[in-house]
Amino acid sequence: MMMLDGIRVVVLADRLVDFGGSMLARLGAQVVLADATGMTAARRKAWHKGMGSSDAPLEALLDGADILLDDRRTDPRAGVDALAARHERLIHVVATGWPEGQPRRPVTDLTLMAQSGLMHVTGTPARPPLRLPGEQAYALTGIQVATAALMGLRARRLSGKGQRIAVSALQAAALANYREAVMYEHTGRVGRRRGNMLVRGSSGVRQIWPCADGFVTWSMIDNPGMMRALVRVMTEHGAAGELAQIDWDAILVADTDQAVIDRWQDIVADFFAKFDRVRLASWSLEHGLGLSPIIRLSEVPQSPQMQARGMFEDGVPGPLFAVHKGGGA
Amino acid sequence: MGALDGLKVADFSWVGAGPRATKDLADNGATVVKVESARRLDLGRRSPPFAGGDRHNRDASVFFAQTNTSKKSVTINLSDPRGVEVAKRLVAWSDVVVENFGPGYMDRIGLGWEVLQELRPGIVLASVSVAGRSGPMAGFRGYGNSAAAWSGHCDMTGWPGTEPHMPPFAYGDVVAPMMLTVAILSALEQRDRTGQGVWVDVSQIEAMVHVAADLFAQMPDEKPANDDPSFAIHGVFPCAGEDRWIAIACETDAQEAALRGVLGDDDVSSLTRAWEAEALETALVAAGVPAAAVLDGKGLAEHPALNAAGHFVEVDHPVIGRAKMPAPPYTFSETPGTVGPAPCLGADNADVFTEIGFLQDEIDSLTAEGVLA
Repeated sequence: MMMLDGIRVVVLADRLVDFGGSMLARLGAQVVLADATGMTAARRKAWHKGMGSSDAPLEALLDGADILLDDRRTDPRAGVDALAARHERLIHVVATGWPEGQPRRPVTDLTLMAQSGLMHVTGTPARPPLRLPGEQAYALTGIQVATAALMGLRARRLSGKGQRIAVSALQAAALANYREAVMYEHTGRVGRRRGNMLVRGSSGVRQIWPCADGFVTWSMIDNPGMMRALVRVMTEHGAAGELAQIDWDAILVADTDQAVIDRWQDIVADFFAKFDRVRLASWSLEHGLGLSPIIRLSEVPQSPQMQARGMFEDGVPGPLFAVHKGGGA
Repeated sequence: MGALDGLKVADFSWVGAGPRATKDLADNGATVVKVESARRLDLGRRSPPFAGGDRHNRDASVFFAQTNTSKKSVTINLSDPRGVEVAKRLVAWSDVVVENFGPGYMDRIGLGWEVLQELRPGIVLASVSVAGRSGPMAGFRGYGNSAAAWSGHCDMTGWPGTEPHMPPFAYGDVVAPMMLTVAILSALEQRDRTGQGVWVDVSQIEAMVHVAADLFAQMPDEKPANDDPSFAIHGVFPCAGEDRWIAIACETDAQEAALRGVLGDDDVSSLTRAWEAEALETALVAAGVPAAAVLDGKGLAEHPALNAAGHFVEVDHPVIGRAKMPAPPYTFSETPGTVGPAPCLGADNADVFTEIGFLQDEIDSLTAEGVLA
């Protein structure tokens, strides 16, 4: 049995609700795509997994439906509110770019991310702000749409009634930025793009390191246990140098002089450069080094962890999460 | 009435990946009891910024306050077997248990899945970790950046031809709790229909993979950066002033024509430099062109539409004072959510332990003996 068996969902899609509809389908709901502005093959493959489609009039589709996902990114969809209001048990999730009550405006994934504050800190100082890869604002909004629908279902279980739920893509994107606004409000500091440097206190440490067959990510942060574990492995290979003499419990990397940090990082860099990602990752798993190999996008579907958990289906992500010993999605 | 009124959650999670999900539940009416310990302080309580710069006050972290709105806090020393017995009473009271401990910890202290089911038949256990609780990486201990590295995000971030790029925030700690909220709510839906308990297991890596589904569907050879070849114009362009930029994305021919009507027909980058970002945004949006200034933290905090929509809610906190907290990005017509303050450490010990059946003298003695600490 799937978690949402028996739940019927109708979707009017224009990017903001697409992933939300697909999420409900993957959880077992019967999801019907009734409208999809500007459909492309790539969009269908990425964001519509599990959904069916119908040319029937919306009025007919809403008979017996539990949830309507109503995407108003470009189209205000005049008349849909009145149609939905006829169905007392319907959970009507309306997704807009800017919050309802604010003037409507054209939005895309890029312009939403620009307003999230995340682009401003992503990239290097010498080049323009960068977006995160993929359609993140649309994906984030889709998850919030699914969340709102599921909360509506739970509320209906208590009250017996559906309701209208407004979801804002701008808010969904802004909510992903958990640091920049609060840092400004409480310290007056504004974050900047710093490339791959992780700046803490008065110094910065590297996050990306070349290795024998690509790159790994690791940072010399204030975690004495992790530092001792790495130095032990380096010592076994005669590569620890002066790092073997440091009492990691007695120093704060964040307050250490940058020139000293750079000297220590050079020793680490020489060590990482000698080994490949598989070897470094296995040490990390075994010893708790806090290191991860940087997996190329094309390698992800075939990675042992993704294979073991059945993560990919037909080349795109499948199950949203695992369920153990209890049945479900 | 909130959408989740009556739902009881025992929240053993800490830092970001679990607490952001239980914040979703608490802001919408669930009673979320956050299980903490002064002996193993939630690292979120040590995370900046701190109200008044007071990093030694365990209730002064605004990071923690933002991540734990509307919850209750109790302190239980889980390294003491008597503390585990107290936790079992809390589990028996709850509908949902949330945890993001290290691999195997719940089993080691006697709170594994089988035990939870015995304590509370029909319980939902929600676990979140970097790689998930099964598979060859089930034992992996990672950090905020790990999921970006394993999911392809790091590989695809940056400019074409450059090394992988790691953004300076833990995006896995953002998307995984969102997926965890969905997992909990859908598990409850199943539980309510079948009476059966459900253990849901959310992986940060997998959550990151899901939000990059469009990349996996197309599998580009190179990082897309700000480009999108399906748009006539799609990028970030310089404006007047230091580090000021505007994002423009023309989806249709009509939008491109409207853009040219505002800017002219020359190279877009050279034309935008003459404009203040906000003025150009206003002009382009009025012409029907998707455009937005690239905001920094100040711009985000002061965003007129976000503030007008109640995205930031002012909440009174006993240590931090009046401060803005993020609200959920949805508005319910019949069951509106309410964002309340985050709890001070152990602030709800008396109320919660009484509710789950302890007498006051038991609470006093367990507290004196360091069990409720």
